[in-house]
Amino acid sequence: MIPLPGSRVITLLLAVLGLALAPLRAANKEINLFAWSEYFPQSVLEGFSKETGIRINYETFASGEEMLAKMLAGGTAYDLVQPPDYIAEALIKNRLLVPLDYTKLPGVKNILPEYLNMAHDPEQRYTLPYMVSTVGIVVNTERVKEPITGLVDLFSPRYAGRIVVVDDARELVTAALYVLGYPLNEINAKNLAEARPLLAQWMKRIKLYDSDSPKTALLNGDVDLGYVWGGEAARLWAENPKFAYVIPKEGAHQFVDVMAIPQGAKNIEAAHRFLEYLLRPEVSKAISDEFPYTNPNGAARQLLTPEQRANPASYPPGDRKFGTFRHLGETGAMIDELITDLKNAR
Amino acid sequence: MHALADTAPAHGGRRAGVVAWLLLAPLALWLLLFVVVPMAGLVVYSFCQRDDLGRVVYDFSWENYARVFDPIYLKILGRSIGYAALTTVICIVIGYPVAWYIARQRSPLRERLLLLVMIPFWTSFLIRTYAWIAILKSEGLLNGLLQFSGVVTAPLSLLYTPTAVVIGLVYAYLPFMILPIYGSAEKLDNALVEAAHDLGAGPIRAFSHVIIPLTWPGIAAGIMLVFVPAIGMFAITDLMGGAQVPLIGNVIQNQFFRARNAPFGAALGVVFTLLFILTYALAHRRRRATTA
Amino acid sequence: MIEIRSVTKRFGSFTAVNDVSLDIAEGEFLTLLGPSGCGKTTLLRMLSGFETPTSGTLRIDGEEVTHLAPYRRNVNQVFQSYALFPHLTVADNIAFGLRMQKVPAPEITRRVDEVVELVALTGFASRRPHELSGGQRQRVALARAIVPRPKVLLLDEPLSALDAKLRQQMQLELKRLQKHLGMTFVFVTHDQEEALTMSDRIAVFNQGRLEQLGSASAIYHQPRTAFVADFIGEANLLTAEAIARSGTMTRLRVEGGLELEIPTDRWPAGGSKVVISLRPEKILVSKRPLEAEAIFTARVTDELFQGALDRLHLQTESGTRLTALVANESALREAIHAGDAVWCGVHADDIAVVGPA
Repeated sequence: MIPLPGSRVITLLLAVLGLALAPLRAANKEINLFAWSEYFPQSVLEGFSKETGIRINYETFASGEEMLAKMLAGGTAYDLVQPPDYIAEALIKNRLLVPLDYTKLPGVKNILPEYLNMAHDPEQRYTLPYMVSTVGIVVNTERVKEPITGLVDLFSPRYAGRIVVVDDARELVTAALYVLGYPLNEINAKNLAEARPLLAQWMKRIKLYDSDSPKTALLNGDVDLGYVWGGEAARLWAENPKFAYVIPKEGAHQFVDVMAIPQGAKNIEAAHRFLEYLLRPEVSKAISDEFPYTNPNGAARQLLTPEQRANPASYPPGDRKFGTFRHLGETGAMIDELITDLKNAR
Repeated sequence: MHALADTAPAHGGRRAGVVAWLLLAPLALWLLLFVVVPMAGLVVYSFCQRDDLGRVVYDFSWENYARVFDPIYLKILGRSIGYAALTTVICIVIGYPVAWYIARQRSPLRERLLLLVMIPFWTSFLIRTYAWIAILKSEGLLNGLLQFSGVVTAPLSLLYTPTAVVIGLVYAYLPFMILPIYGSAEKLDNALVEAAHDLGAGPIRAFSHVIIPLTWPGIAAGIMLVFVPAIGMFAITDLMGGAQVPLIGNVIQNQFFRARNAPFGAALGVVFTLLFILTYALAHRRRRATTA
Repeated sequence: MIEIRSVTKRFGSFTAVNDVSLDIAEGEFLTLLGPSGCGKTTLLRMLSGFETPTSGTLRIDGEEVTHLAPYRRNVNQVFQSYALFPHLTVADNIAFGLRMQKVPAPEITRRVDEVVELVALTGFASRRPHELSGGQRQRVALARAIVPRPKVLLLDEPLSALDAKLRQQMQLELKRLQKHLGMTFVFVTHDQEEALTMSDRIAVFNQGRLEQLGSASAIYHQPRTAFVADFIGEANLLTAEAIARSGTMTRLRVEGGLELEIPTDRWPAGGSKVVISLRPEKILVSKRPLEAEAIFTARVTDELFQGALDRLHLQTESGTRLTALVANESALREAIHAGDAVWCGVHADDIAVVGPA
């Protein structure tokens, strides 16, 4: 039923095996990359290997929490990880990341200043931004004629049974906190108690929760509205502009996926070379071509087509209020329990 | 006839020799590595705490177990059992006639039909589940067919409903019901069914008095193979149910990979496992009591 | 009790039972005898209702049952494999039919106890079939089939799984039981000895057809077809032609040259050549002249010692080859050996005409 402890034993055995074999491998001839699924174009990985002769082992995860769990389980010695900002913050706090050597990363000048020295890494010592996105509202404008400007419109009773929401307790709670006017990182018993009736109402109207591919239900016509990752919305818009993207007027969660080198990395040199490669405008542009998130690389943005830059989900109008997640300690469990309880109550 | 009172065959006790133990060693090792060690790990975890990052801290506590018996989780467990029970019943109702029919066929046809039951296993579980999504979605095959034939005017909302979850569960586990029942039904001597008819049992009573009891081992195995995994299933609830109604499998998975609370997940898992061992033991004892 | 009228059963292109008509009297022990695949079991299964005739009708006790379901017929069957319910005890197996008839519980107990005693299974009632020996299982099957008091009991080779000794005992027990109950028994077997021992009448089947119906003795002594003559007991089957007729007797020349006489009324109408059957034990053999209706000399070409009997292969002077069975002589009497010249005798009544050549 629960695969983890069993797989832990196996990963342990594999780790022992890997350790035994480690001296046989030349250092910096390969990189163990642990990153989100569907986030690196194959051409980018192959291009780097062809240029440098360094092989990339791309292992994927589907949520920041999963990444953290697997990284801490200590199976593979990863050389590069790709946590979301708030997980990166926790890793930095727990001294689990290796500081970057900026002498090897001259391309950092390409990053737009607003994506540097952010709250999760104020000194910009450990992380480089990879892609940025927001969580916002997708509207199938063929089916929904009324204007949707914010979360209150989205969760109105009129759309009951027509909404897909990412299956993420914290995103739901954040939406409620925005509507109630609380800062999105003020998670405490009092605020959650206030959010509870609001969420209970909303959740009755949600048709399904899907973090992995919320666009599917929208494309299939099973729902008409979504509260989804900006990247998903960008791809929907690229497919059919009837899918409009709206940054909620109450405010939106903006997240940055960063690249970092964890403690225990064996190929730090090679990892830096890959990071510098990713900072190149044409490489970064190739990533945007396939995964239309908000690209923090200013030089790369210059290379995008006007159409790409016009995608409202990738580059939303700048007059909205954005907030980023901070690392939550123990209070995370309160969110989880609240949402489980509310789902259960249906 | 009194002259013919010969004795029944004697049942001698057997003792396993060294060779038998040696032959058992790989199995014992397998059990140790893949059952005992993980279970022991689970039990240890379940009494631990987590730190800020979700790492397991070896700090003994009953807290996780106290939380397991929170009404939230008991309700989820109850619902999971309900879904699994419904799935099992539907699997029996559909699977029994299918298994019986296949078992009564002549040899080449029988093997071909069995193959049809097993063919879905040749593709990945996820792909099969996505195929169901393609069938059930509102612009999907089924709705297309229903609308084309004029049965309904507006598409039915099938996907992301409890019905879809049950359809998915029944689909996923039906072969696990059919195969063991087939195994029992195939072994059932047709003369026994004829004997029941001969002694005045009509189709219904022949079924209830002879066929059911004699294929019961297959049914019981089917129930174990369907009911238990169905309770722990989480992928179907996520994919076909839209993650709306949490089942116990979802909660446990959630604790490990989303909430990063492995100790609590482990405690849920331990209680869940104990519950099954207990149910199984009780059922087994009752069975032995009735056969003795 | 049972009327079988022109019953035919086909399975696809195969005709298992071919236009069979047969009446079975109340209280009769009738055996359906024949080699495997002759249709005897199919006929039995039509009586029990597991098969439906392709054409023809079946009546049991005056009621037409041709298409009646097995569970609505007042007949019970003892299966070749016994078909005991493995999940039920001996007592529950026996009580099964009574429970299906909704007989009140106290009566079930009484009747089951009664029959358990009748078949000598006292003390085994609470066992399960797998805890019994073959003979015990056979008796449970029998008890289970007779306890509902059917009008007819159908037995499908019930003794074939038993060893020879037990089988012989059971043959007698079955016959005694049948007399005791006064029940009509229809018994299927391929074992001619069993048939001869137990039956009031025997119906011999071959390739779906009823070859001959009659008492054991009639079937044995007056076989009407070569098949019957050969299948039951042993027979010298010889082709013969009529060469002279003198009043009531007809003179035959048998293949090889031997000449014999039979009563003219046995000669079939039309045809000049026939097959005759002569049982080996009906040929009298002696080293000295003997008395019989037909006497001829022969040479013993071979002698096979068979315990109680001696099997002699004979060749007559005219060249006809015959097999004879003679009682094994004691040491006191003169023995017959291969190479001896012997006198042989045959009575006209022992020669059966079994068909045209």
